[in-house]
Amino acid sequence: MNTTTYSTATPKLGAWVWLLCWTSALVYLPTLLTERALFGMALSNTQLLNLGLTQINLMLISMLGALSLNYLTGCAGLISIGHAAFFATGAMAAAVFDTQLGWPFPCVLLACAVAGALVGTLAGLPSLRVRGLYFVLSTLAVHYVVTYVFLEYQFKFFDVVGIPYATPRIGDIEINTPVRWYAFLLPLVILVYLGLKASLQSREGLAMRAMRDHELAATSVGVDVRILRLKAFGLSSAIASVAGALFAYYLSNITSEAFNINFAIQFIAMIIIGGMGSLPGSLVGAAIWLLLPSIIAGLSPQSSEDAGFMGKLLVEHRAQLVQLIFSVMVIVFLIFAPSGVAGLGRSLKNRLDAWRQGL
Amino acid sequence: MSLVLDIQGLSVVYNRKGLALEDISLGVPKGGIVALLGANGAGKTTLIRAVTGLLDLHHGHIVAGQVRLSGVSVTGLPAHTLVRLGMGQVPEGRLVFKHLSVEDNLRVGAAVLPRAQVQDGLDAVYHLFPRLLERRAQAAGWMSGGEQQMLALGRAMIAKPKLLLVDELSLGLAPLIVLEIYKQLRVIGETLGTAMLVVEQNAHLALSFAQSAYVLNQGRVVLSGTAAEVAANPLMKSSYLGQARAAGESQA
Amino acid sequence: MFEQVFFSGLALGSIYGLVALGFTVIFKATDVFNFAQGMFVVCGAYLAVTAISILQLPFALAIVFIVVASALLGVLIHMTLIQPLLGRPMLSVIMLTIALSIALRALIEIMFGPQGRSLTTPLPTGVLMLGSVRISYLHLTAALVSWACMAGFGLFFRFTSVGLLMRASADSHEAAVVSGVNVNTMNRLAWAIGSTLAAVGGLFLGQLQIASTELEGIGLLALPAVVIGGMQSIPGAIVGGLLVGIIEQMAATYISPKSSDIVIYVLLLLILMVRPWGLFGQRELGRV
Repeated sequence: MNTTTYSTATPKLGAWVWLLCWTSALVYLPTLLTERALFGMALSNTQLLNLGLTQINLMLISMLGALSLNYLTGCAGLISIGHAAFFATGAMAAAVFDTQLGWPFPCVLLACAVAGALVGTLAGLPSLRVRGLYFVLSTLAVHYVVTYVFLEYQFKFFDVVGIPYATPRIGDIEINTPVRWYAFLLPLVILVYLGLKASLQSREGLAMRAMRDHELAATSVGVDVRILRLKAFGLSSAIASVAGALFAYYLSNITSEAFNINFAIQFIAMIIIGGMGSLPGSLVGAAIWLLLPSIIAGLSPQSSEDAGFMGKLLVEHRAQLVQLIFSVMVIVFLIFAPSGVAGLGRSLKNRLDAWRQGL
Repeated sequence: MSLVLDIQGLSVVYNRKGLALEDISLGVPKGGIVALLGANGAGKTTLIRAVTGLLDLHHGHIVAGQVRLSGVSVTGLPAHTLVRLGMGQVPEGRLVFKHLSVEDNLRVGAAVLPRAQVQDGLDAVYHLFPRLLERRAQAAGWMSGGEQQMLALGRAMIAKPKLLLVDELSLGLAPLIVLEIYKQLRVIGETLGTAMLVVEQNAHLALSFAQSAYVLNQGRVVLSGTAAEVAANPLMKSSYLGQARAAGESQA
Repeated sequence: MFEQVFFSGLALGSIYGLVALGFTVIFKATDVFNFAQGMFVVCGAYLAVTAISILQLPFALAIVFIVVASALLGVLIHMTLIQPLLGRPMLSVIMLTIALSIALRALIEIMFGPQGRSLTTPLPTGVLMLGSVRISYLHLTAALVSWACMAGFGLFFRFTSVGLLMRASADSHEAAVVSGVNVNTMNRLAWAIGSTLAAVGGLFLGQLQIASTELEGIGLLALPAVVIGGMQSIPGAIVGGLLVGIIEQMAATYISPKSSDIVIYVLLLLILMVRPWGLFGQRELGRV
């Protein structure tokens, strides 16, 4: 029968077609969003889901955050609710090295990564002493400590309005338009994704996942669990730190309020909805987090006067409604789909495969 | 002869993967003492859990069959309801409340009794197990295994159950203590007429204590009868030690 | 001056102790680290606003309303959210309570608006002078009521038969089931108590400050309080709350107002590194 050759040949071809489609879509996206037209056909705001390149760029930055957190929590099994602290570290390092010392942008990013790795390793130290719930609490405490330091730093060297950030430039090119930001961020996200994926498939990565699943068993096979934990923390925080710096540059002004505990919670929500331990899931979670407010903004009428109850809600309490829907989504996922969208995708794929096999 | 416990055609599955128990039928007559025997993994604990409503806790499901307590269908009812219906449990591993005193442990068991009867219940248990009276204010976690077993038994008995289910009483206990406890069980059976289903690894001990027995192997009843019949049966030895399977394989 | 700070700390600490106690009851019974405890405090404050300002109930009735409503809230949350997640990994449960707190916050802001509401009750205001120390009547009432609630709970827990069953369920879930205890009912009771204690705290904090969702931050100080006091320990929760109250006031007065949070969290970190089981807890390092 031809079935065997059929099923081994198409995946390769299928994968390449898939890749081609995605690449062309991603390359075309900025044009689509800036011109608000698809191949010359104009599109309304609603059709574009109220998205602009700005939101896409923010989504890319938050993808970095989601990826780094999922690496830590989903893959290495270290639960941290203090992730915002590393963003703050990056923002602060960027302020020190760029705004104050005037280093070139690429060096600043490197310095941010190093700073993040250092703070991350320090933050991971309690894991040598305590486990489980106590460790989660230590990450909460770390969050408050770091954000306090950031606050003091901001007030000492700058002012209450916030810390300004210059436009980043690589060599002669200034990254000062959304398209340029997109061109910078997209490859970065892809790079980080591929890097983390490679790390997970390396020997150390497999050991890490063994550690997540059964620490005692991992230790008995000679895996030095403690060093691995610190390494995971360091890598994850380095990425988050760079993301924090980019966030600061992007917004060009940051106050310590930006990195409150809510900020950290958003990332946990992203990885839960996307799927813990799944790198593609992190991307999906970040995308959903991006799309939701835009969709809601799109659904709300212009004014609340002649709108019904829902309309009033959408206009006057939009921020709260987004929060409410998002948190309910997390709850629903936790109860009914604990493996997130990635898990749902996997079971869907399994069912499709089973159906295809039965044909 | 009326049956206090009547199990018909019970089948149980764990985690939706394969039958842990298949078509079990078993009866405990009023005032009778029945032993449940079998090697490790034969399904004895599963059967007890299925009867006592603890399957859910261990991710199991009853997929077929009926359990009746004194004629009333109790299949799948939760454990706390069953206790109120007259089913006392002495679980594997004792499961005493480690941080509570001996007396408090007993009072928990007595919670199903009307308030007026609680003191009488306590007195009855202390009469049965004087050692518990000595230790009444001590935290249960500090007692020896034998004392904890007595406590678990007392806690189950205080509610004056019609049926007592005892799971692996002898595990981890010195033989003398085990004998002493079985003697007390016999006293309970004779004075109060409580029916008992006793799961016991030590087949010899169980068969000298019980009136009738069922032997489980790989989730099925392979042998049943009076204690004497079962003890004399050659199949009993092979089921227990798995020799039949080995013999069968060498012949194939 | 020092006595002044100390007494305010003690008064506030009594309220924290109450909230921390509610938290510990929930934790002991259902093993859930309830990050939404801070929002339960806020719910209490807004229930008070509803009962007093909106429904215009007489004060005694308002108290009944607050207690019953918050108890029902606790039971509802256990039934719909906590029970389905039985046996799930810790991050799921933690995230659930966090998501719950966000949802509650959004709901309250939609219903009452993002601004805080002032809360006026017939509780005595005014100041009592003890030597050179000014003690507000409100602080005193808050402290006394908190202590009464804590003592009441203690008596209930230790001496009633329902309290015994709760202690048994907390000791061993399976042993309780086997002994005929309806553990589900005990768990719901625990959540009702935890929620109600927090709500009473919210009633006082709402009047001492203002009924707003910002109270959540104060309510969350119950978390370091229970860790410092010892996670599963009831006296620990109370002592932890008192300590947090005193330290918070001291830091706010002698260092700077914004530093009080950070001092407490640094202390939390220290305790976690040096003596994770807290002052009164037992030596089981973490729950893996």
